[in-house]
Amino acid sequence: MLQALGNRGVQVARLLAPRHTVLVEAVRGRKSRTDPVAKSKQGRIKVPPPVDPVEMVVLRERYTEYKLIMRALRLEFKEEVLRKKYEEETGSMAEERARQEAVEHRDLMVWNEQENRRLLQLRILRLQKETEEAERKELEVALQREQEQEEFIRRKEEEVMQLQEEAKNFITLENLDQRIEEVLDNPKNYNFAIDKEGRAVKQTVLQ
Amino acid sequence: MPRYELALILKAMQRLETAATLRRTVETLMERGAVVRDMENLGERVLPYIMTKHNQRHRRGSYFLIDFYAAPSILTGLLDHLHRDVDVVRPTVLKKDTQISKQTCRGPQQ
Repeated sequence: MLQALGNRGVQVARLLAPRHTVLVEAVRGRKSRTDPVAKSKQGRIKVPPPVDPVEMVVLRERYTEYKLIMRALRLEFKEEVLRKKYEEETGSMAEERARQEAVEHRDLMVWNEQENRRLLQLRILRLQKETEEAERKELEVALQREQEQEEFIRRKEEEVMQLQEEAKNFITLENLDQRIEEVLDNPKNYNFAIDKEGRAVKQTVLQ
Repeated sequence: MPRYELALILKAMQRLETAATLRRTVETLMERGAVVRDMENLGERVLPYIMTKHNQRHRRGSYFLIDFYAAPSILTGLLDHLHRDVDVVRPTVLKKDTQISKQTCRGPQQ
């Protein structure tokens, strides 16, 4: 399995494995199980490296001591971290802090309530004023419109009266002969001459 | 109803015939539902140019103005009728302006 991953896989396997295991793996390299052994390696017996017993004993003792100390330190530190976390959550100060926070929260909520009420009052006043303004404007507009309508009616009535007055002078079948006689008797001349001072001369020669 | 003005140029005739033509014209107007308001005579004058109508060439004519109120639909019929009248040299119907603005007219403001 490991030969498929290659060298990078070896390093990853080294990281992922627990600390105390010895890293030994079978690396096949280029050849598979069924290939014959190379000529130079015929009759080779693999021998593990020789171990010096004295050295081994000494090293073993030292290593056990070392590992003991390291493990103890690590556990101590872990415990410290856990204790700190625990104290923060359920320590003596935590209750006080929680209580203080609750108190603060209540105060702020009260203050918020007050502000809301104050603003509500202001808003009510403002809305009232606005509705009054709107009503007033509406009344004004209605008044204006009524006045305009009255004005219009008055003007139209004036026109009608004027037309009625003028209607007395219209030509009808009875007036017709009389009016024709009048018309033929009075020729009207609209021509006039004017000079630079603005004096108009209405009497002109009619050809 | 809108207000129109009939500017009529009649042939230079005797007074009696002119009166008859005018009467005829006004009666036509009234038949077609117009209300005749006023009539004016601008005199018998030399025409500005020789006008040919009904195979006659006219040098002099009498000008008349007739104000009337009428519906716009009658105008084409009326003009047709007047063109066919032998004594009428030239009929013209114009619309009267409704209102001249009472403001004094100034020139371009400097």
